[in-house]
Amino acid sequence: MIATVRDCWQSFGQFAANFGGFQMFSFRLLPYLPKALLRPRLITEQLYAVGALSLVLTMFGGLFVGMVLALQSHSTLVEFSSIDSMGAFVSETMVRELGPVVTALLFAGRAGSAIASEVGLMRATNQIAAMELMAVDPMQRIVAPRVLAGVISMPLLTAIFSMMGIFGAYLVGTRLLGVDEGAFWSQINARVDMHQDVASGFLKSIIFGASASLMAVFEGYYCQPTPAGVSRAATRTVVITSVWILLLDFILTGLTLPKV
Amino acid sequence: MNMWARNPSENLVEIHDLHYSRDNRPIFSGLNMQIPRGKVTAVLGPSGSGKTTLLNLITGQLGPDEGAVLFEGGVVCPCSRRRLYEVRRQMGVLFQDGALLTNLNVFENVAFPLREHTDLPEELIRQIVLMKLQSVGLRAIWQRMPSQLSGGMARRVALARALVTDPKLIVYDEPFAGLDPISMGVIVRLIRHTNDALGITSIVVTHDVEETSSLADLSYLIADRKVAARGTPEELRNDKSDLVRQFMQGRADGPVPFHHPGPGYAEQLQAMAAT
Repeated sequence: MIATVRDCWQSFGQFAANFGGFQMFSFRLLPYLPKALLRPRLITEQLYAVGALSLVLTMFGGLFVGMVLALQSHSTLVEFSSIDSMGAFVSETMVRELGPVVTALLFAGRAGSAIASEVGLMRATNQIAAMELMAVDPMQRIVAPRVLAGVISMPLLTAIFSMMGIFGAYLVGTRLLGVDEGAFWSQINARVDMHQDVASGFLKSIIFGASASLMAVFEGYYCQPTPAGVSRAATRTVVITSVWILLLDFILTGLTLPKV
Repeated sequence: MNMWARNPSENLVEIHDLHYSRDNRPIFSGLNMQIPRGKVTAVLGPSGSGKTTLLNLITGQLGPDEGAVLFEGGVVCPCSRRRLYEVRRQMGVLFQDGALLTNLNVFENVAFPLREHTDLPEELIRQIVLMKLQSVGLRAIWQRMPSQLSGGMARRVALARALVTDPKLIVYDEPFAGLDPISMGVIVRLIRHTNDALGITSIVVTHDVEETSSLADLSYLIADRKVAARGTPEELRNDKSDLVRQFMQGRADGPVPFHHPGPGYAEQLQAMAAT
């Protein structure tokens, strides 16, 4: 019993130390971000690595989520004689909620784990130490460009995800389930609001992008310099980022939900 | 201003009364060392004696608990990050595995410090990098990626990278470990040649007595948390102390025991059986 309490206390202490470390790391990074913008080539390289290489996964993810949403919503909408609202239903769901959240989860799985592994491997093979000894600050050269690339690429990936989702719903809704094309698009036009829906999704995607990329570089940067340590950093990145994004989504949705 | 700081003299690096411990285990207790300018100084010692820790203290990756490490008469650590980076720009460090940046090719690895610290035109960077690669004999493989290099080649590229900013000091961490005799000979020649040709100061952290004898102007033997012996390789070979003789002659047992200090065998068996 005492051992269990002690273990729990130690785990809590470990969690608190990690959380505090993450906060310190994030604050330490802040002054480096404006300076990193002066070297756009480094950001472009990372945009390709975390953004462009996540494109295919994001597009297919969005397409299938949209198709499933159309199928799932069909029976309920028919029951309430609202089949023409399918476009609006899918669009609002994609733009406000599923777009930012699922893109962030896919991002954590593909780009987040890749960043954590790459930075962790740089730690394990002394590349970060070598940079420090060459008087090159790794926060400036390695961390800041990756975080900025995550912040920039996530809204773009989210927009593509949502667009593909709406297209998938359009294909299933109008070609398979007999929804009227005009009604599908006009409902989207009438119901999706730029400020309430699109801006809310955009804000979420920026926050998720910053969180996911920060978590990935943090885990890689401070991983144990061993093969097991690098692998653990990649796993922890995906697990912690996923939980963190779902929690953040709940908070942000509560804050940005339109008043009825 | 630290009490040890003073104007630089014949010594580029000075270590005064250094105390350093990790996890409450003392690594150094009152270590003193002087690294003369323009010479190759070897830091020898058995495994676990703290050679790499000493390297980390000299380069400011670690700070001493007490005492001071001086570079050019100025304290290396503790100091501001800016001051530390100023000191490090005058140093080059060669890691055991080279620590080349794996996403850059050989040319870009060597050019890396120049691109980060200078605004030199591309043409000049190209000339400097090729000159440094020529000096280590690897100009022809400038396009290769680090994964395509042997261990010896990676170390030579890392040496070219360390030299590219013309540092005053180069620190070599176990430069001979895991190399075949030819590669070892090449590295020995390069260390000696670059030291003499460029007038820099070299510190070679190693446990390789044989190679060090033909290379070093001065050797320090570290053991038991301090400097156990100091002198030319010849003087160390003729030293009469048991510790120095054990190390120089590679004896398995002696002042550095074969068995790591701990409880008696029977005592440990009983203790483990009781649990």
